This record gives sequence, C-alpha cells and structure tokens, in this order.
Amino acid sequence: MNWLDWLNTFFTDPAHRSGPDSILNRVLEHLAFSAEALALAVLLAVPLGLLIGYTGRGLFLVTALTGVARALPTLGLVTLAVLLAGVGDTAVLLPLTALAAPPLLVAAAEGVRGTDPDVRDAARGIGLTHPQTLFQVCVPSALPTLLAGARTAAVQVIATATVAAYVGLGGLGRYVIDGLATRDFPTTVGGALLVVLLAVAVQLLFALLIRSASPRAARTVHTDEPAGSPALSKDSI
Amino acid sequence: MIRFEGAAKRHPDGTVAVRGLDLDVPAGRTTVLVGPSGCGKTTILRMVNRMVVPTGGRVLLDGTDVAELPAAQLRRGIGYVIQQAGLFPHRRVIDNVATVPRLLGWDRKRARARAAELLELVGLPPETARRYPAQLSGGQQQRVGVARALAADPPVLLMDEPFSAVDPLVRAGLQEELLRLQAELGKTVLFVTHDIEEAVRLGDRVVVLREHGEIAQLADPHTLLTAPADAGVAAFLGRDRGLRGLGLRPAADVPLAKLEPAYEDWKLTLDQDGRPEHWLRDGRPHPVPVFAPARDTLRAALDAAVLAPSGHAVAVDADGRAIGTASRAAVVAALADEGAQVNHAGR
Repeated sequence: MNWLDWLNTFFTDPAHRSGPDSILNRVLEHLAFSAEALALAVLLAVPLGLLIGYTGRGLFLVTALTGVARALPTLGLVTLAVLLAGVGDTAVLLPLTALAAPPLLVAAAEGVRGTDPDVRDAARGIGLTHPQTLFQVCVPSALPTLLAGARTAAVQVIATATVAAYVGLGGLGRYVIDGLATRDFPTTVGGALLVVLLAVAVQLLFALLIRSASPRAARTVHTDEPAGSPALSKDSI
Repeated sequence: MIRFEGAAKRHPDGTVAVRGLDLDVPAGRTTVLVGPSGCGKTTILRMVNRMVVPTGGRVLLDGTDVAELPAAQLRRGIGYVIQQAGLFPHRRVIDNVATVPRLLGWDRKRARARAAELLELVGLPPETARRYPAQLSGGQQQRVGVARALAADPPVLLMDEPFSAVDPLVRAGLQEELLRLQAELGKTVLFVTHDIEEAVRLGDRVVVLREHGEIAQLADPHTLLTAPADAGVAAFLGRDRGLRGLGLRPAADVPLAKLEPAYEDWKLTLDQDGRPEHWLRDGRPHPVPVFAPARDTLRAALDAAVLAPSGHAVAVDADGRAIGTASRAAVVAALADEGAQVNHAGR
C-alpha cells in the first residue's frame, strides 16, 4: 500500500464521516483549542505589546522574546502543565498560549513603534490625548504588522495543537497519535495532512486580512502626480 | 496675543536650547522666526502648544499661562502645521481635516461639512476629499495640513517649516496661498523657517534668531533688508539684500511715460487689443519684457527695464494691455525714492 491508498482508506472510513471521530468534528475541536489559545494570547500579549511600543519602555522584553518562541519545547511544556494542572484543557491551553504570545507581543510593540514619528507628533500637536493617539493613530498603522504576528502565532498554534491528543483531548492530533499507537498508518497520514491543510487555510485567511488592513493608497493606482513633483497647474498659480 | 516671558528650555543633558526669550507675538499678524538650524526656533514655537514645556519662564496666550490648561484642550484651540504635514495615512483627506472638530465633539456630518469648506478654502478640488494622503502630491498634502490646522477655526496658527519639504515652484505657490488666506482670515500666525526669503515674503514681522534663541533683530521685512542690526544679521540675510528689498515695494512707485511711436532705433508693436507684441529694430522682432504696476514689485519693474532691449520696460494693465513705459533711468530714480510704502503682498 502506498500513501495514496492510505489517504483513500482514511477519507472513506465511515467513522470519519460522522460521529465523534468524524473529520468535521476533529477539525472543529482542533480549531476550538487553537482559537481559545490564540484569544488568550491576544488578550495577554497585545495590550502589553502596544504599551511597550508606545512608551518605548520594556523593549528589552521584546528583544528577549523574539528568539524564545522558536526555542520553546512544546511537548515539555505540555508535560509540565499536566504535572502542574492535571490532564485537561489547561494542560493544552498553557503551552499553546505560551507559544502564541511572543510573536503577538513583538508584533504589537514593533508595529506601534513603526508609526511615522511626524504623524505621531502631529497627532499630539493637534490635541489627541495619549490614548487617542495610541488607538486612533498608532494602532491603525500597526495593524498590518500586528496581523502578520497573529498569522505566525495562529499557524504555530494550529500545528502544535496536535499535541492536545497526547494528554487525551480531541482534535486532529487524535488521528496522528492514535494512528501511531495502533500502527494504523492511513489514519496517521490522513490526520497529518489535515493539520497541514488547516494551517495553510489559516495562513491564507490572514493574508487576506492583512491585505485589507494595509493602507489603501498602497494598493491603488496613483491617479495624479506623485508626491513632491511640481503640481504646475494648481500650486504655482 | 502670544507673550514669551523669559521662556527658557534646558535639556536634561544640560544643553541650552533657548536661554530666555522675551517676545510679543501680536494678534492677527504673521510673525516669522528665522535663523540657522539649532537656533531654537522650533523649540520656541513648540512652547506655545506645550509640545515643549519650558524649564524657565512662561508663555502666555491672551494673558493665560499655557501651563494652566490641559495639554490636549490647549492644543485643540491652536492650529499646528508641520514640515511633513503629518497626515494620518489610514484616514481619508476629509477625515484628516475633520479630526479636531471631531475631538471637540462635533457630529460626523457637521465635521465633514466643515472639512469640505476648508478643502475648498485651501484650493483643493472636491474630489481630493475621498483620497488617502499617500495619493496626493507633497504640495497638496501641505494644503491638507493647513486645512486640518484651520478646521476648528483657531485664532492662533503655529507653522513649523511647513513648506520646506516641497520643491521651490510648489513652495512659491503655497506661500502665495498663505498670504491670500491670511489676508482673508487674519490669524495670529507664528511661522518658523530657516529660509530668509520665505521670512521676508510672509512675515509682517521677522524675528532673526541666533544661538540659544537670542533675538538678533526684530523688524518688519523692509527694515530688516535695508538696515540689518549687525554684521551677523547682514551675513545671514545674504547677498543682494538691497535688490531683494525691492521685492517688497510696489511697482506703482515708478512714474510711467506715454507710449511713443518710436524709441530711437526701436519701435514697439501692439496687437489689435493693445497688448505688446515685439520690440522691432531693422524689422527684426525682439521680446517685450513687461511689468504690471498694479500688482508687481519694484524688483519686477527693474528686471523688466534691465531686460528690455530698447531700455524701456513696458507697463501693462491687468489684461496685459500696454499702458505706458518706464526707462531704466526712471526706474532707478524710483528706487532711490525712500519712504515708499512696503508691499507685503507683492511677489
């Protein structure tokens, strides 16, 4: 049997069509874990990142965290979380959140820091308060960067949420881990493929979001003369 | 009126930006702060809207210390224009201009209606309203910046090198526009520039600064050009200041002679509407340099006289019809006529 036959076996198995072990159910479980972890990470990391980026204080944290995300041993964290919190949702949420938080924090901080200083100066100078400057000027300008960070976080979380099955929870990891345990290769390969497809789909979704959040002018064709050129007709009278 | 009373700014590292400035900026006029980079002119300007907090002395706005108001509230009552315009890139032009009215609690509809009025006032076509800043030229962005500053109709306008980043031709247009706006609106304008040409062109009063915000001279542009306080100011004013001073005096001072059938070897031909066509000599045509006494300056008149092949500058009315001539001698005689009125609106 080659892997195409395995996939055929996997996708035609009636147990994968409906019921608790159906593909739809596993995908939804997987997405639910991931979304929960991502939402928690957003709540924790984004406000802190925005504040760090706006005030410029605590930037060392950003620098330190930039490298941490990749080095994080997820399986180790899951084991640790199970030892600390027992088997259950928390044991999965903790490591996934820890995985998602650094890219979000870094993106929020860098995005806000990247706001054009002249624009920030003008905002303060015409009478926006600090919170107004942050939310009306810096956050919109940070949005593409922030979404790019969220994309990295989301893809990593979806890929890693497979470990949820390791501590007895559902999701696409069930196929992978159960398949390995019972030497049921069709199930393992099918599950792995689904994880990849899900990650790619989320990646594409974020690409669309980022596109729609980018400054509109950058996407439209300039209809008049570019900045700085002599606008003879209007400006020279 | 803005009053600086011993206003000083010392940075935390001990360097002194402004040593202690006493200055009155009169209401309804344009006061220009000019000086080399590092003279503290921008710091002085930013003390008015508390973008810089003085470390000594105080700044009064209509008798009230600016330190007494909450910063955001103070700033919403003061127009602020900066060099790079500083427009919000994610907001449409109209919403950029409507920013301060919205902060003041106007509803969106009223704020946008006001913004549309201002875009028209600064000479932008209505279709710019829906564009994003990056879709505009540098000159247009500056116009939006001025419109945004004027949106809530503040009595005071602070302008920090607003026209420095655009090319000279566009800059001249923007300066002209500011003069027109100011004649219409009569704001208290405090304008910072490093460009002395711009200073004498726009200012009712020009404050020449040297290091640490010390006033080297405070004068109207004509006095500044003709009687610099010291060698330092004269050097800063640069060459040709006598000639440039003529740019502030109206060409109407030049006495005109009637049109003659011939000027020695030269003959002036007019078209059927009476507009100058050519200077002719031996049947060969030459161009006709002209000036318009009603709107040009003495400098333009002198220029026309110097360039005229016949030695006679031709004066024209608003429609370009010849109304007389002025010989080089006549123009030079007019130059010597002191006490002539200073014309700030001249080009």
